[in-house]
Amino acid sequence: MFRFILPRSLALASLVAVTFTTNAFAHCFVGARFLPATLLTDDPCVADEMSIPTVGWSKTADVPPASQLDLSIDFSKRITENFGVTFSQGWTQIRQPDGTVASGFGNLTTAFQFQVLKDPSHELAVLTGLAVDWGHTGSTASGFADRFSHITPTINIGKGFGDLPDSVGWIRPFAVTAQVGYQIPTDSFDFTQNVFNPQQLVYGGTLQYSMPYLKSEVIDLGLPEFINHLIPLVEVSLTTPMANNFGNPSTTTGTVNPGVIWVGSYFQVGIEAMIPINRESGTGVGVLAQLHLYLDDMFPRSVGQPLFGGTSTPTRKLTF
Amino acid sequence: MRISIPAAAILLAVMPSTGIQAHAFLDHAEPRVGSTVPTAPREVALFYTQNLEAAFSTVEVSDTNGARVDLGKPTISASTMRVGLKQLPPGTYRVRWQVLSVDTHTTQGSFTFHVKQ
Repeated sequence: MFRFILPRSLALASLVAVTFTTNAFAHCFVGARFLPATLLTDDPCVADEMSIPTVGWSKTADVPPASQLDLSIDFSKRITENFGVTFSQGWTQIRQPDGTVASGFGNLTTAFQFQVLKDPSHELAVLTGLAVDWGHTGSTASGFADRFSHITPTINIGKGFGDLPDSVGWIRPFAVTAQVGYQIPTDSFDFTQNVFNPQQLVYGGTLQYSMPYLKSEVIDLGLPEFINHLIPLVEVSLTTPMANNFGNPSTTTGTVNPGVIWVGSYFQVGIEAMIPINRESGTGVGVLAQLHLYLDDMFPRSVGQPLFGGTSTPTRKLTF
Repeated sequence: MRISIPAAAILLAVMPSTGIQAHAFLDHAEPRVGSTVPTAPREVALFYTQNLEAAFSTVEVSDTNGARVDLGKPTISASTMRVGLKQLPPGTYRVRWQVLSVDTHTTQGSFTFHVKQ
């Protein structure tokens, strides 16, 4: 079977598919803080946004390694002000050293997300969600999608350091985000592959430094405008088998991604290096890039609005 | 759900011509964010990336004790908001602002500037 021919390739493809397709890519303001949509992990807000596309290139952990290309599209829509749904679809191509090429779609993923908390004064946001990777909706015959579904309850947290005192002003542009999910397959055993389907902890986060925040909240250094739109960051995304993993490796896999996001008024562009954390996670350094559109800014009076609840326009004059 | 890359390019291409607006970011301020000025300024001017809704935008300037040192109601024209200041002695002052862009998005922020001793 395909999994026995390309075990590490498929494992990595699955990992990438999972991490790509659980992103919500929300336009995330918390007080003075803007948390950008990050490429590998989710940010802690619901919004109306679209990533089109996210492109990844890497080399698999096989010996010799194969080249892997991943394309994905995400569309996030708020149903109400605090509840949203994300639809995600990915496509993967694996090219073997001998020139053999295999490609296919991953399963369709929908993520239902609820904004639990936004605390502007502490730049804190909390989001809970349930991602469902629908079995049999992708290229199951070629091995790029499972015949069963995955259900992943997830929590996302974002925190800016803007509430630190002015005496440490240079630290205030930092922010962290974290994501923890527990992925449960709907079938515990895959009879076609003759392997157990493990339950997995899917987790990660980001450390980011906002140049826009530095300029508007701490000190305007008169830097070139392009620099003032950058958010350098490091992302980490990991997967660890937790249960029902008999006969499979129990190794944690994932990547560490240093990169940068350029933030505009209507879209952002991000690029990251993908560094595998171990031999089981890949070979060499890959690349991940994304164009991300802010639908709530592009179309604020139509698709950029929640389906129910309408505009968030204040009904009274703002006071501090 | 699947939208092609050319479709995204079209979306980006039509944006400027449709007159759409976005969140209003603070582009720059006078006095500059975090700066030290040699003499007390007569006003604080805030320049944003989008036009503002005057009725829902406000700014406040206070000293280190929290006492207001601005002259009250700001004047707003397009993407600029200005507020007059009382005579400021040397010290550190915090500017807190909250604005609504014309497309109904709210943003907020604060920063300090210093008047030289």
